Amino acid sequence: MVAAAPRARAILVSGASGGVGRGIAIACGAAGYEVWIAARREREASAVADEVTAAGGRGRFVACDVGDAASVAQAIATLTAESGGLFGVVHNATSGLSPLSKPAQEIGVTELEDHVRVALRGLYLLARSAHPWLRRSGGSFVVTTSEAGFEGKRLLSAYAMVKAAQRGMIRVLAREWGPDGIRVNAIAPLASTPALAQAFVSDPSMKDRVLGRNPLGRLGDATDDIGSVVRFLLGDDARYVTGQTVMVDGGSCPVV
Amino acid sequence: MSAAASRTKLAVVGVPHPAVVALAGALGAGDPWPAPEAPKPSGFEWSFAAGLQEWREKSAAALRGAERIVVCTWPRPSPPRPCIELDAGEWCVAAEWELALGFTALQAAAAACADGGAIVAVVERPAALDSAGRGPLVAVAEGMITFARSLALGEGARGVRINVVSSEIWTAPERLLGSPPPLRTFPGRAEVEVAGAVRMLLSADAAGVTGSVVRADCGRSW
Repeated sequence: MVAAAPRARAILVSGASGGVGRGIAIACGAAGYEVWIAARREREASAVADEVTAAGGRGRFVACDVGDAASVAQAIATLTAESGGLFGVVHNATSGLSPLSKPAQEIGVTELEDHVRVALRGLYLLARSAHPWLRRSGGSFVVTTSEAGFEGKRLLSAYAMVKAAQRGMIRVLAREWGPDGIRVNAIAPLASTPALAQAFVSDPSMKDRVLGRNPLGRLGDATDDIGSVVRFLLGDDARYVTGQTVMVDGGSCPVV
Repeated sequence: MSAAASRTKLAVVGVPHPAVVALAGALGAGDPWPAPEAPKPSGFEWSFAAGLQEWREKSAAALRGAERIVVCTWPRPSPPRPCIELDAGEWCVAAEWELALGFTALQAAAAACADGGAIVAVVERPAALDSAGRGPLVAVAEGMITFARSLALGEGARGVRINVVSSEIWTAPERLLGSPPPLRTFPGRAEVEVAGAVRMLLSADAAGVTGSVVRADCGRSW
């Protein structure tokens, strides 16, 4: 049974209108968090907010484009005005180009710009806007990175690069924010998501490659396998954990 | 083959500030192939795409046929700043521009490198203990290390090796936290410690090494 968190604990999850973000939101909802689904797609995000409420938390939607400074500032302002504070941020949003497979030489600078804008600028903007509130609450900041950010990917090299950059950023933020009582961590998940299912269709040999090296022999469940670890990192049970990237990939990634 | 690459079949790419010039000199590469200087955006309403796309194509043509290419991503030195104190323009230059520049430089190097050749990316990567105030720089370093691995996966089929040397040349703090690094020569020098690691990775002695990182920081990181 999941220990209930106080209702006052409001968290923001970016990019939670589907996939891993949805799983994180629902897992945190099950622990009683007030979960703000920060996304651009209102219809899908509101549906996830309803799932959060059904799981035992309180789901809310806030419009947010993580690459836009004004949008991020407005989202945090809305959240804190209505919830009275902010306990945690999960930066899960990633570029819509992330699943687009192509050799590195074919990646244009404009595509790279989109990856950087969502993954890296989004992290910076959320960190900048959330910091005063997290300092007040002694809260936690979690980033969804990827095993690609450790090992590199031949056909997803821009995605892998920004995920590695995020891993570097959280390590630095953990040192900079530790004196403020804020913990900063990341996860590197491997989950069953609609995007991965589509990738398996596009590349039929991919499923065997992905599962063949996974000692647990299955993809993670976005809520029960991945979301639960984020919930741990956000909560008091992880109060002495900071600066870490936790592999939540069934032992799949061979780098660490 | 272009003039830049044909002179020595070894080329160094980087913003031509003194440390990069010293590294190129120590490697016997002559003048670096110049990377563009960072722009000065005042806010987020900017794009690094146009200038870099053109520079990448020009660089790939100029370096074509080189057997050994060193991409040095050292930016001009700057003092440490906590990440959230950076304004929009500072963030865009320190993180977004530098990452995009490194990406395009390595793309150009991989496109230009002769079959069986070797590429080394050099990154300034402060050790974890020294990383506060260096968020963008650490992000760029980690991004470049992983991008080098991605490229190594693709270019290995034609015998091209791609590796990384990390340094802490100009970000070493005056007061070190924790135990001092094992080598008293810390933080090392571009023309000695860094150049030596680069030379090793470029050489035939490293014929079986690709996608790896050599930390030429006198033992400060691990």
